[in-house]
Amino acid sequence: VRCQLSPPQRPLQASAALRRVSDEKKKEPLGSSPQQQFDSHPADHQPEQGPQGPRPSYTGQGGQESEDYESEEQLQHRILTAALEFVPEHGWSAEAIAEGAKTLGLSVAAAGMFHSDGSDLILHFVSQCNTKLSELLEQEQKLVQLGEAEKKPTDQFLRDAVEVRLRMLIPYIEKWPQALSILLLPHNIPSSLNLLTSMIDDIWHYAGDQSTDFNWYTRRAVLTGIYNTTELVMMQDSSPDFEETWRFLENRVADAMNMGNTANQVQSTGEAVVQGLMGAAVTVSN
Amino acid sequence: PAGGVSLRLCGTRAASEGVNKPVIDRIIRVDHAGEYGANRIYAGQMAVLGRSSVGPIIQQMWNHEKEHLATFSELMVAYRVRPTALLPLWNVAGFVLGAGSAFLGKKGAMACTVAVEESISDHYNSQIRTLMEEDPEKYKELLQIIKQFRDDEREHHDIGIEHDAEA
Repeated sequence: VRCQLSPPQRPLQASAALRRVSDEKKKEPLGSSPQQQFDSHPADHQPEQGPQGPRPSYTGQGGQESEDYESEEQLQHRILTAALEFVPEHGWSAEAIAEGAKTLGLSVAAAGMFHSDGSDLILHFVSQCNTKLSELLEQEQKLVQLGEAEKKPTDQFLRDAVEVRLRMLIPYIEKWPQALSILLLPHNIPSSLNLLTSMIDDIWHYAGDQSTDFNWYTRRAVLTGIYNTTELVMMQDSSPDFEETWRFLENRVADAMNMGNTANQVQSTGEAVVQGLMGAAVTVSN
Repeated sequence: PAGGVSLRLCGTRAASEGVNKPVIDRIIRVDHAGEYGANRIYAGQMAVLGRSSVGPIIQQMWNHEKEHLATFSELMVAYRVRPTALLPLWNVAGFVLGAGSAFLGKKGAMACTVAVEESISDHYNSQIRTLMEEDPEKYKELLQIIKQFRDDEREHHDIGIEHDAEA
């Protein structure tokens, strides 16, 4: 007996599917298209029939999965990736996801698997971009280690990394302000903040940051500020190839480098003052 | 001097693969903070008692703590662990504790050392237990380091008792 587990958001379908298996009903309760693969698994007596090629299935089937079945998570990734193509037209929405599902031969009802505000699609996109960035930075690091490339100075490294990452937004730039506002919704903030902080940490790691003191926080906070402000400037930028944005970025990074020097000066002054006080205390106690 | 513990760091990715990241993160962050605090305590003690008869003893123990801190800083980079945000607090608090206990005299300073090293040893022991429960083989290097440091701290504790009892 092959049991089916539907995704947690659709408990009705699960009970309906089980009922179907036991009653051998042909009609699906939600009237979705016959193409819908993940509920069209035939009842026991037709195990060989069904669409060719990889069938989506769910984990937790009690060991009845075989190697060529993908997990629910992989399926969701495929749908979201396919949906990106439709974002320029439909925005970050369930419509885009539905179109994406259609190109994979799935029913438009697949969009029901995801949040209705489009946040799943946006977070998927951000996560994909961050992964791409990490891979690029890793490759660059390897080239430097092999001696095939020059090690960039820190300010240029940061500028290039932020530029590369922001350029990934260009195909979706019309709809990106919408995405930003969705990411700022309270229930999305933990996830979006998480993605942002790990990206910034990655950039600093590949830039060679080895700080183990409070600088660790200062540097990441500063870079986050640079990234966010540059992103906002990019939204308003209409210059050819966003040259105004990259100039803004260059200036902000230069500011940050100067800030580092100023901070050092403040710290030295502070240390001198403390030493003076300690000396006074010791003198008084003696 | 503290035993020569060499760190074979073959790159951060190798260090991070297959380990229980949250557990390791916490261990390294806490230990780094602890050694940093210990550093500041001895610095405070030296500031007051540096020129007294226990000066050299305190300096020696302080040197050990500096080595410990350096080791954890390396581990922090290798495992990409975030340092504690409370470092500025430990900076001041540690120094004040060290200097304050030293103002009470040599006995005060040694009593402070004994108390601090006692709790650090217990803390390292429970970390060793945690890592042994997880996977002694996978964490062999880290276990070796922590065991060595635990022994060093116990030695400091014993030195403190010795001088506390004498003075």
